[in-house]
Amino acid sequence: MTVSIALVRENAESLQPPRSLWVSFPLGRPLGVPNDAAFQHRVIDAALTLLGRERGPVLEDYDEDVPEIATESAPACPVTFPRDDSSWQNRLASELGTLQPWYQMGLSRRQGRTLVGVSDSSIHEIMRRLAEDLDNQQLPADLVWFKSAIEDAKAYYLEALTAQPGQYDQVELYQTLWHDTQFGAGLRRFYDQFAADEKLSGFAVIVLPREALGEKPDQEIQNEN
Amino acid sequence: MVRLSDLSEHEQAHLLAKTLPPMTPRQWVSPSKPLSQMRVALITTAGLHFRDEAGFSFLDASFRPIPNEADGAKLVMSHSSVNFDRSGFADDVNLVFPIDRFRELEQRGQIGSLGDVHYSFMGAGHTPDAYEQGAEQVAGLLKKDKVDAVFLTPV
Repeated sequence: MTVSIALVRENAESLQPPRSLWVSFPLGRPLGVPNDAAFQHRVIDAALTLLGRERGPVLEDYDEDVPEIATESAPACPVTFPRDDSSWQNRLASELGTLQPWYQMGLSRRQGRTLVGVSDSSIHEIMRRLAEDLDNQQLPADLVWFKSAIEDAKAYYLEALTAQPGQYDQVELYQTLWHDTQFGAGLRRFYDQFAADEKLSGFAVIVLPREALGEKPDQEIQNEN
Repeated sequence: MVRLSDLSEHEQAHLLAKTLPPMTPRQWVSPSKPLSQMRVALITTAGLHFRDEAGFSFLDASFRPIPNEADGAKLVMSHSSVNFDRSGFADDVNLVFPIDRFRELEQRGQIGSLGDVHYSFMGAGHTPDAYEQGAEQVAGLLKKDKVDAVFLTPV
């Protein structure tokens, strides 16, 4: 027997898995609220109840939304990201130096848990190699390494930006990451290079999210050369 | 709160493009025992694995086993989609893979037991048929583990 959480009701409605509970939570958060065991248990209980159904397919709506986060109560961004028109090597190294103490603070707050470490390179090595490609206006030679490296770098930035305890507005958090940081500007450059490459254009989708592109579809990101 | 109608038009279009017809043949299993006697396993499509294991590649229908006794907080994510939030998962593995919650259910006797192994796929890029071989393999492994029910989480 299976019971599934569904994040997109329309997909579950059409695919018709045997037992499914649709939740209104954001993509990436199928159990709703991090570090809230009571909330997560309520979701799980509602889903497990469906295992008792004798006939299906069953698609039920979960009736509790995640709490709204008041903008004024979210922790402030700990870092100011200045304009910088120097080389990518300088830009990314400088930014990494600014974020490092916040990443360490986040590591401490999460009792050592981190999502960094998918690649086998240190964060300094990752930023150095990404900057090298950006300065040389070339696509990465090793795409397997590139995928894991940008995953590590995104995790590093997100964990640094959320170092302080509290609930964060995800939209604002990702706005900062994609549009305010030099790393975000570098990813936009990589995205454009992949998208323009006949053979590798499909790879662009793993670099930046649709939302980051949709918000500024025709604009150059600040600080672009 | 996020519903499809809350998302941008291009995001809606992308997600609605994944509305596929029902998978066949239809499967249905009626309950044969109460939840308190069921052996339960977790399966996620969040692309989770341990740091010392190979990450998921760009298009990857393979799966990774997650031993029940393993420390879930050491799981990392190498999902190809960049269109969902990861900051919550960084704070709490249970937001995506609720292993601690299910251990609590087991301790309270609300479920019978947890399977010896849980599983992680990476759900991006492929249509469901690409996962058929891996899903059949996992189904066989779950049967050998005498698992009665599976709790599936997307991301």
